Amino acid sequence: MSDVEAKIRDIIAKEAQIDASKLTLDAKLAELDIESIDLVSIIYNIEEEYDIYIPQDDEQFKLETFRDVVDGVNDLITKKGAEPSSSAAS
Amino acid sequence: MNEMWDALAAGRSGIGPSDRPDFDGLQIKSVAAVEDFDPEAHFDAKDLPILDRYTQFALVAARDAVAQSGLEFNDGLGARTAVITGAGSGGMTTVDAAYKRLYQDGKLRVFPLTVPRLMVSAASSHITMAFGIRGPAYTISSACSSANHAIGEAFNMIRHGRVEAAITGGAEACLTRGTMGAWQSLRVMATDTCRPFSVDRKGMVLGEGAGMFVLETLEAAQARGADILAEIVGFGMTSDAGDIVQPSLDGVCGAISAALDDADLAPQTVDYVNAHGTGTDINDVVETAALHRVLGDHAKSIAVSSTKSMHGHALGGAGALELAATLKAIEHQTAPPTANFTNADPKCDLDYVPNEARAMTIDIALSNSFAFGGLNAVLAIKRMN
Repeated sequence: MSDVEAKIRDIIAKEAQIDASKLTLDAKLAELDIESIDLVSIIYNIEEEYDIYIPQDDEQFKLETFRDVVDGVNDLITKKGAEPSSSAAS
Repeated sequence: MNEMWDALAAGRSGIGPSDRPDFDGLQIKSVAAVEDFDPEAHFDAKDLPILDRYTQFALVAARDAVAQSGLEFNDGLGARTAVITGAGSGGMTTVDAAYKRLYQDGKLRVFPLTVPRLMVSAASSHITMAFGIRGPAYTISSACSSANHAIGEAFNMIRHGRVEAAITGGAEACLTRGTMGAWQSLRVMATDTCRPFSVDRKGMVLGEGAGMFVLETLEAAQARGADILAEIVGFGMTSDAGDIVQPSLDGVCGAISAALDDADLAPQTVDYVNAHGTGTDINDVVETAALHRVLGDHAKSIAVSSTKSMHGHALGGAGALELAATLKAIEHQTAPPTANFTNADPKCDLDYVPNEARAMTIDIALSNSFAFGGLNAVLAIKRMN
């Protein structure tokens, strides 16, 4: 499990108050019962963690599954050319 | 007001990307700013330090409204007049400047007039002082419904005989780095422009400004031979008791129905609706569904437009800008368009007057405001015969 995957799982579980075990890579976000107000907090926390901007209306950034989120964030981190500001993964 | 109408009638949007330095680094830069406002053209230099930009807007609008009304607040009328204004957040330019000094510039002193400038009620106070209004005066804050709640409250005060006249409306000057950053994080702001009801809409665009109106009873206005712009005939308000950001169809329907009931109007009498029409995914769908539910088959035969596509979303001032647009629409018997319209969202299937104003009979109009936190306020307006 990558550090990014673990960190994002922590953020989503905390902000949306859902069990982290439900966040398998193939879990569909729409089925996780994440409220829209929690979603903006999730995005904010991911952006803060990696000092990235998650595009608001980028057609390339399709977020269907948890894996899509991890891949998308990894892409943004790569594009930024920076290391994650911290790693909370154990 | 005439200048604003000329732009609305031409479908000319005031929205554009701003290159002001305090937006540096923000992702969202599209705003509908009052670009050419020169405070010194409107106020003495000695008065300006006490006036936040939002209060300046409110005072300029109030002066115009009072002058146009021809009303003079002498012979005790000032004591029998109310000032009820709406504002979402009040003196945000003042708040931003103060915080910048303390947290960014490392200063230890804040400008001494910060408190009287930032008060959300400052505009109401300054209007009372400008015209010698000594009756009930306060500010109503209900986020994006503030102005409609203020106007509705002033309407009710006059209707119930508590005052003889009222100066009412709303004002906002929220295009600050802090406010823009906060809205950006909610991810409801358009990166390009505001396209209410279009399938490719990306969200709302913040605006700023003020609208003020002088209200009095129809009998009093007729008795003094006033140039009456229109009659406010109903006001409906509900709260969703639901979600702090998501609108509820029941709450929105309830406010529209209540406005019609208050005015004793059948749904079939409505000609034009100035929509809340923020351009967010959910607002436009819920507002459309609400008009279908309340107006039934008649919904398909009315004109609905969101002038926010041109003047942006002025938050607590929005309802006032939109009442001004509605009054002008009635005066000119012309529905202003929904600008920037591309293709309709399948879930938004009403006649939104896309991109071009339309000459039509407007005897009865509604002006909708729905706020974050589920506070809904709808005005019903009638053309004078």
